[in-house]
Amino acid sequence: MNFNDARDLMWIAGGLYGSAFLLGFLKTFRLNWSPLNEAPLAGIIIGFLLHTRALYLRGLEIHGCPLGNTLERIQFILWSLILTFLILRLLWRLDLLGSFCAGLSFGAGWLTLILPNTDPMYWLAPDYQKLFSNPWIELHASIAIFSYGVFSLLAIVSGMYLIQRKALLSRKFDKLGSFLPPINDLEVACWRLLSVGVIFLTISILVGGMHWTRHPEFVSSIKLAVTILLWLGYSVVFFLHLTSRIYGSKFAKISIILFLLAIGSLALVNSKNREDAKQEIIPVKSSELSS
Amino acid sequence: MNQEINQSLFLLGSSHQVADLAARERISLPPDSIDEFYNGLGKIEGLDEYLLLNTCNRTEIYGAAQKSFSFDSLGKYLSNFRKLDPDFLSQHSYQRNDHEVVDHLFKVTSGIDSQMVGETEILGQVKKAYEDACQRKAAGKMLNRLFQKGFQAAKWARTNTGISRGQVNLGNVLCELARRIFGKVSNCRLLVVGAGEVAESTIEAFKSRGSQAITVTGRTFDWCPLCRNKPAELAEKFGGFALSFEQFKESMHLFDVILTSTASGKSLVDYGDIKKSMKKRPSQPLFLIDASVPRNIEEKVSQIENVFLYNMDDVSTIANENLKSRISEVDRCKGALARRAVKLWEQMTQTREIS
Repeated sequence: MNFNDARDLMWIAGGLYGSAFLLGFLKTFRLNWSPLNEAPLAGIIIGFLLHTRALYLRGLEIHGCPLGNTLERIQFILWSLILTFLILRLLWRLDLLGSFCAGLSFGAGWLTLILPNTDPMYWLAPDYQKLFSNPWIELHASIAIFSYGVFSLLAIVSGMYLIQRKALLSRKFDKLGSFLPPINDLEVACWRLLSVGVIFLTISILVGGMHWTRHPEFVSSIKLAVTILLWLGYSVVFFLHLTSRIYGSKFAKISIILFLLAIGSLALVNSKNREDAKQEIIPVKSSELSS
Repeated sequence: MNQEINQSLFLLGSSHQVADLAARERISLPPDSIDEFYNGLGKIEGLDEYLLLNTCNRTEIYGAAQKSFSFDSLGKYLSNFRKLDPDFLSQHSYQRNDHEVVDHLFKVTSGIDSQMVGETEILGQVKKAYEDACQRKAAGKMLNRLFQKGFQAAKWARTNTGISRGQVNLGNVLCELARRIFGKVSNCRLLVVGAGEVAESTIEAFKSRGSQAITVTGRTFDWCPLCRNKPAELAEKFGGFALSFEQFKESMHLFDVILTSTASGKSLVDYGDIKKSMKKRPSQPLFLIDASVPRNIEEKVSQIENVFLYNMDDVSTIANENLKSRISEVDRCKGALARRAVKLWEQMTQTREIS
């Protein structure tokens, strides 16, 4: 293991998240072993520190925010997810939520490391140029990815809501359900996370929009459409819940579906690089010149 | 260098394990005689420290005494004080010595020895008894250490084993379900339709968890509005509100938990009633409990979003499953507490002398 290699660190961080997930569930089901008490949180914190270093090293390697391929985007979202959880953990004891977050970070993190073609070394290409030379774009991208992190937490809490609801409707003693937070609290948490996510996504779009109005050649129409659709989707759910037209299990299910769509569309929201952008600009300019 | 302490622990007690209710009533000390009892204990020769635990289910005297101390003097004192035949007392009591006392106290504080295994009320009662003994200066170094460790053992058992997990009492099961739906039971607004035992047990459980908004309604309001009737009495007993039976359907949206427990023999609440109520509180859950046979709430209402309907069979199933899961934890807890007790006793009987 090389602690100066971003991928190696991502593997270790994923492993720690996986251990935290496993230990968290063992602790939940009251396995009698006292070192379990703080082990899951410790695993998440150490994993998060290594994860941070991995992204930092990758950032140094590519000279920018590491959001250039699927692996980097997924890893950044998972990092945001754990960061959001740790901030919330300062306020409330949410051990089971930590287990769910660690489980998702472990599964998704290792999957992107295992699957081929998720991590092309685009920065080694001879024509590679630093994409985010503009700090506003860096800000836009990082806020957008943070909002994805919040939406991933929303999806997890929505999943917890559906598990609790199923346990209550089954009218039987359910071990997992008895350790989950109350269903009413879960719905309130979902609503708050949705509000925070929509606010951050809106800020990100506003910041990105300023760049787009100046350099529209950098933003593909697909990216524009997907971003607006996603923002619209979350905003519509936000207003429908605000007006009590969507709530309960439907609200939870839609939150999960929207998150899956958001993750699925990640590959489409990449900006064009300068060469592609130039190729689009040049014909326009030459036609202007000829006219 | 280790030095052995020349003191021993002892316990004389009676509880539901060895005495039925009638016997316990005879042995138990009336509250107004506690002072006198303590004064008498202080005069027993060889008795250095003493503590009385006197609850509805157990009367126990814990003490630390010289090795030469005899149980007979204590048994004699208790039987004389309560005017009991010594044979009756010996038949309905038990004696413990040294590490057995530690082991017994750990079981008591953790709720393992309670009639309803895993209940938490006993810990508060033991703490109260300990504070009382401290105020009277009856508890010294040995008992202080014993009881402090007993409280720690109780906390350990509840944190690390499942002995308190799950409720087996009907009212407590309903409170646990309400907690899983709403969080704090104290914030739940409860409406009880009917005034039977189930209703009373439920109100008691909600009240004990801090619920203030308790409302009772029943058909007897309409039959005899001028005389005192059960729903009104029940509301008054628990400091709740009484609601006219004719109005309750119009007010259902104001409540989070609705319990029906009547002998009306017909459906009182149907799908349309709940649908109408939920329109006024769409995003807030509603917890319905139908404790009546035949049922008072139409089964179809459970299809409505955010409505959780339970009947008596559902609640009984949960209570029985809780009991099963708790029993399996008790053996594990007993073993672990016994190991802790032996360890503590070894520490208590050996003091390290710093040369």
